[in-house]
Parts: sequence; structure tokens; C-alpha cells
Amino acid sequence: MNTHGSVPSAARLRDVSRRFGPVTALDGVSFDLVPGEIHGLLGENGAGKTTLARVLGGLLVPDGGRVEIGGRVVALRNARDARALGVAMVHQHFSLVPRFTGFENVALFDRGAWTGRGAAAPGYRDRVEARAGELGLEVELDVPVSELGVGARQRIEILKALMSETGVLLLDEPTAVLAPREVDGLFAVLKEVSGAGTAIVLVAHKLDEVLAAADRVTVLRRGRWVLTEEAASVSAGELAEAMVGGAVGGGVPGVGVGRGKRVGWAAQVADPLGGRGEGADEVADAGPPPVASLRNVGTTRDGRSALRDVTLDVRRGEVLGIAGVDGNGQRELARVLAGVRTPDRGRAILPEEVGWIPQDRSGEGLVNGFTISENVAFALHGRDACRKGPWLDWAGIADAAAELVREMDVRATSSAAPASVLSGGNQQKVVTGREFLRSGNLLVAESPTRGLDVKATVAVRSRIAALARDGDRTPGVVLISADLDEILELSDRIAVMARGRLVPVPRDAHNRRDIGELMLGARGADAP
Amino acid sequence: MSTRARALGPAMATAAALLATLAVAAALLALGGHPPGDAFAALFRGAFGSWDRFVSFTLVRATPLLLTGLAVAFAFKARVWNIGAEGQLHAGALAAVAAAVAMPGAPALVLIPAALLAAAAAGALWASVPAAMKTGMGVGEVITTLLMNFVALFMAQFLVQGPLRESRGVFNQTDEIPAAAHLPDLLPGTRLHLGFLIGVLVAVALWLHLTRTPGGFRVRAVGASPRAAEVSGRFRVRPVVWLAFLASGAIAGLAGGVQVAGVTHRMYEGLSPGWGYTAIAVALLARLNPLAVVVTAVVFGALSAGGGAMQRDAGVPEVWVRGIEALVILAVLAVDRSWQALAGRGARG
Repeated sequence: MNTHGSVPSAARLRDVSRRFGPVTALDGVSFDLVPGEIHGLLGENGAGKTTLARVLGGLLVPDGGRVEIGGRVVALRNARDARALGVAMVHQHFSLVPRFTGFENVALFDRGAWTGRGAAAPGYRDRVEARAGELGLEVELDVPVSELGVGARQRIEILKALMSETGVLLLDEPTAVLAPREVDGLFAVLKEVSGAGTAIVLVAHKLDEVLAAADRVTVLRRGRWVLTEEAASVSAGELAEAMVGGAVGGGVPGVGVGRGKRVGWAAQVADPLGGRGEGADEVADAGPPPVASLRNVGTTRDGRSALRDVTLDVRRGEVLGIAGVDGNGQRELARVLAGVRTPDRGRAILPEEVGWIPQDRSGEGLVNGFTISENVAFALHGRDACRKGPWLDWAGIADAAAELVREMDVRATSSAAPASVLSGGNQQKVVTGREFLRSGNLLVAESPTRGLDVKATVAVRSRIAALARDGDRTPGVVLISADLDEILELSDRIAVMARGRLVPVPRDAHNRRDIGELMLGARGADAP
Repeated sequence: MSTRARALGPAMATAAALLATLAVAAALLALGGHPPGDAFAALFRGAFGSWDRFVSFTLVRATPLLLTGLAVAFAFKARVWNIGAEGQLHAGALAAVAAAVAMPGAPALVLIPAALLAAAAAGALWASVPAAMKTGMGVGEVITTLLMNFVALFMAQFLVQGPLRESRGVFNQTDEIPAAAHLPDLLPGTRLHLGFLIGVLVAVALWLHLTRTPGGFRVRAVGASPRAAEVSGRFRVRPVVWLAFLASGAIAGLAGGVQVAGVTHRMYEGLSPGWGYTAIAVALLARLNPLAVVVTAVVFGALSAGGGAMQRDAGVPEVWVRGIEALVILAVLAVDRSWQALAGRGARG
């Protein structure tokens, strides 16, 4: 481990441990943070990286070990203690008041914004603007946060964290929600901030991003420290190996689970979305009939258009990839395809039962307090085969669940275990397996590998890839994801969702740069 | 945590809550100058001192708590916070009396089912107002069900003082219902009536429904996570919420019908000492499990039956029993929270 004996540390952990019930999330981890560095913190899901950040941020009290900030041993009881010592955290899920403007959100959490009597401090607005300028943060201060995109919200959140003296800035998976260009912008800001002496901890699981932004990198695995290296002296391959502890089946995500082996009609279709307007019938005749079709579908949510004029066809045995920055109508599209949301305009022809892996695994895909069997029953409880007279055939459902646990390689003691004891990856395997049970003709996968570790990602992706090549029974798959690598790896055809519109991506533009531009609405996706 | 520990956990937590309540109650009694030992002994004798005390007092008083407790448990299971069992009970009692008085010559086989069905229907009707406001306009049912209680209470007051007042015109109460409408005794020589058995049967039916049927699975799913029910279960939440309101209201209404047909044989002001509210404690102490509600209803029935004896024999005012009931609710909630914290769910690094 690198030691920086001469440089005073910004923060330091010594032999820190933290348990959650039977799970050891951090096991004797030591960690050094030097002023002015960007320190990438890598690890699979459950490796302990968020736990480490939360310990530093005062949100978790460690069971053992020592926390030092600015060279002094401290006992942080809560985030306020940490803030007082100059440690600020930007969470994965932002903590902004949606109805407040950016300025109000910044002021709300900053004591400096107020006089002792609760009035606004004079000149505070100027200070906020000046600070944003120093940091190179482009922020919209006068628009309600609810009207801002994710990237813009994140910048408000960062400004909020940096309004007062900050020695340590913790960012938990800040890039997960951003488009490629926004990621570059974020990193530029972070360079600026670290240049001013603030130490930054960047929790992430995307290797290339961390290598691009960080000065040093620490890898955790199963709650233990594995390595700390200068970013310049370590390769992505070495880091991946350190993260997973040995070679992984399909390599790291983004490296070939098996795209491009399918040929046939899909490659020949001229209009990737199955044709809008005149040529639609011709295109439909050229291949097998679609399993699902949308024609000029529009929806309105909270008085605004969520989907605009969306037309697409999905056929058996193909993966239609839909890329896009979160919040551009993808969730609405998934709901329409799954038959949960009826379009306000246009026409949708859908199969009776649709498999749908929802984006929000723990909130929508599963009930944590239910057993695996009960969660599987979501797909089965309406079927005649799973009833005996008026009663549910729980024995039959338990058999199906046990089969699913085997098939999907879910790490659980039994199908009677509650979903809450499973790791994120195993939870996702349960959801995926259940939706495979359900998907006769159409499977909608919404960010199916978000937040999963490398092994689980590979497992889920190869299942989806295999599903679409499964002979006669194969469904059509719609893959909705903000992860471009995933889209490029799995899709036969690609479209981009931007501001509620679906824009086809021609085959010769199936690359990160072109798709990235479409995602940000720089090309083609605009117009009212 | 093993499956076994999970199954045992709630029962142990409940027992811990009751023990904690006893300890605090004992301390308070001692502070109030009442020897806790004497008070508890009197309370116990009043509730369990003899077979007749147990059957004719404890179980009879447990009956309305059992039915209202089941009503609350079922609604809560679906995340419908029905605080209105009290009002639904009053509506049911009024309807049962009205139905029975309207058919003076009818035989018991007609009269009893008619009175009880009328009670259930009136309870469901009473619950349908908050149900419509919640599903149609998104108005929170905690407020609406609570306010409907006052409407029911004042309506009952008005009816027994006016339109439904007894023909003698002496007291603010209705005429006695025909003898054919009286619920038969369950055990000869005691005051225990058919209503208790009805309560136990409803408990078993609810338990079977919740654990063994697709419909009950939906109720539990909506209660656990409405969004997961919609997305993973692919069924509509609204009909399930309606079902929970109506079934809950019907069962609470049935409690009122059972009480007038089984015990009071008429309706009057102050029929219920707040069973619809105590029902919340009954349901929570049972962790919303219908079978456990049978047990917790008897526990609260025993408190009620023993309270009088405690006042008589140990000189401890009966209001102490009310205090103890309140302590039980607090203890259940507190123990529940600490139990969850101990079990350490969630939070992965």
C-alpha cells in the first residue's frame, strides 16, 4: 500500500470494520486520502465501497477501527459531525427538494445562508454564483429542481456540498445516471475541485471512467482491501481481476457476451424501427410478423408529454436496444410495452403476457418481505396450473421457484428464504428468472444490470442473449438501458430515446460517439 | 436468521411487549399507591377466576374485539389504515336492530341471518365512503374513516332519541329486538353466544384467504408494496383496496350486529366503549395475523372483564385498565421497532 508519510492526510481509516447482522460489509479496511487527489474506489456490489464512503461521511458508525480526519482521530456520530469537519457527501439518490429552485436548495442546507434570526444573509446569492463560477459548475439556480435533468441536479448537489469549507468530497456512483458527455463535464469539475486542495472519493464500478478521472485507485473485494495503486500504473484488466478475484466467464462487461452471431432478416431491415409512415407494411412483410407493435404512441404524464409519437416493431429472436439518458421517457415506454400503461394516443398491439424486468428492482421487481417463492408467485398466481380449486398450489409454486433458483444460479439457502437476505445480484436473478417464466413473446428488460457486480452482470446479459436465440420459443426482447456498452453488446437494432421520442440509429452509427450524441439530443431528437 | 427464528420472532416480541407492559403497569400502580400484586391478582381472578368468569365475561367481552380486530387486521394487511371500525360497528348495530324490528313475526332462521347480513352490509356501506374518497380522489383514509366514526355516533344518538326510540318513550334506546333474533347460547348455562363462534370462523376464513388463495396473495402484495403489486404482479391495485375497505367494514359492522343480537338485544347510546379503537391494539398485537387476533382479542377481553373485579376487590379504578391497554399499544410498537433493528435487515455495502 502506498504511504504518504510526508504529506498530511485529508482522511484516513485504520482497520475499520462494519457488520450488518450476519454480513461483514467492511473487514479491517485501511484507507488513506491525500489532499487534492481524486481517489477511485472500486469493487463489485457488496464489496463494501458504499459502506466505506458512508463511514467516512458519518452516516455509519464503524464497529471497530479508527477514523481520522485532518490528522485527528474522530468519532463521527452522524453526517452533521462529518460536515462540521469538512466532509461532504453526494449521494447516488439526490437529496434535493424537488419544488425548490437550485438556489433555494443550496441555501436550505447551508448555515451561511442565514442570519442568526433566520433571515437570508445579505450577499449570499452573489457568494453562490461566485462559488459556482470558481468551480466551473454550470448551474440553473432559478428553476425548480424537478424541472432539471439528472446531470443538472447533480451539479446543484455538488455545489451544495462545496459551499462551505470542504476537505473531503465523497461521491457515490455519480456517473451511473449520466450520459457520456455529462460524465466528461463532471470529471472536469472534479479536477477543478481537487485542484483547489479538496480530496475526492469517487465510488464507481466502471473501470474506464475511474481510470480516466482518478489519480489513485483502491479496490475492495468482499469487504476487504485488495490494492491501492496510482491510476497511471495499473491497467483495466488488472483492476478487473482484483475486483473479482480471478478470471470471469465472459470477461468484464462490455466484452462480448455474444453479439453479432445472429444474421438474417434483422440485419437487412432498412428502417431500424420497423418503419414509420409509408414503408411500414413493406418492412413488416419482409420479416416474420412482429410480436409487439407501437404506432404513433403518445402518453401524457402530469400534464406533459412523456412519450411522443413512438413507433416500433419487435420481432421474435431479436434484441431491440433502446439507449438514452434516464428520464427521457424510457420508463413510460416500458410500462406501455408491459401493458400496465394504456397509451393516450396512438395504437399498441401487444402480446397477452409480457415479461418485464423493471428498473427499480427492490421497489417494483420484488417485495423484500416476501420469500423467493412468493416473489415468483407474482408471475404464477393467476395461472390455472397453479391453482387447486380456489386454493393456490403453493407446493407447485415452490417447485417452480426451486427450479428457478437452480436454473439462474441464485445463491440462496432455499426458495423459502426472504428476498431481503439476497444480494442485489441474486435479487436480480430472481426477477429475471421470473420474467423469463412469464415472457411468451416479449421481454422488456429495463436497465437489467444496473448496480450488479461483474459476475452477475455477465450472467444476466448472457441469459438475455441466449433467450433471444432460443429457437421457436424465443421472444422478442426490448432492452432499455442507459449503459451504452450493454446496448452495443446485446442489440441487433438500436434506437435512442430522447425527450420522449424514439430515434432510430442506423447500423453504421452503432458506436459510442454517435449514440452518445443522439442521447443528449444533439442530433435529430429535438423539435417540439 | 433461520426460518424458524423468523417464525418465532414475532411471537417472542409480542410476549416481550406484554411483559414490558406488565412491568410498567406494576410500577405505575405502585406509584399510585396500589399494591400491584393485589391489583393483578384481582384482575386475573375477574378474568380467569372460574369457568363462568372466563366464558361468560372474558369471552363475551372478547367477541366484539375479535370481530373489530379482524376488521382492522385485514384492512391493515392491505395497507388500508381503517381507523373507522367504531363507526362501522355502530352502523352495523343500527342496521341489525332495524332489520330485526321490521320483521317481528319471522322465525329465527330468517331473522338472525337477516339481521347479521344487514349489519355487515351497513358496515361495508359505511366503509365505502372513505374507500371512494381514497380510490377516486386520493384522500387519505386515516382522516376520513376517523371522521366517519363521529358521523355514525351522532347518527346513532339521533336515531335512538327520535325515529328509533323505544315505544315506551322512557330511555334513549330502541325497542328490544324479537326473541327470535337473539343469538343462541354457545354453551348451556353460560352467557357465551353464537357470536364468538362466528368470530372464530371469520378468523379462520380470513387466514385461509390471506395465505392460501390468489386473492389473498394480492391483498398481501398490495399491503407490502403497491408498486410491486402493479409492476411485478401485473394486477390493478384499486379493486384490491376496495375489497379491503368493504370486507373490513363488513366485519366491523358484523361486530355491531353480533353485539345487539347476542348481548344487548337493543341499540342505545354508548353501545361500544370504544371497541373499534381498541381493535387497533388487538390487531397490532396479533401482527395482523387473523388467527393470532383470536388470542389477542381474548387477552383484551380478559383485561376488560378483570378491570371491574380490580376496582371492586382491590380498589383500583377501572380507568387503569384503559391505561394498560394504551401501554400495550406503545409497547408493541416499541418492541416491534427494536426487533426489526435487532434483525438488522437491509443495508449492504
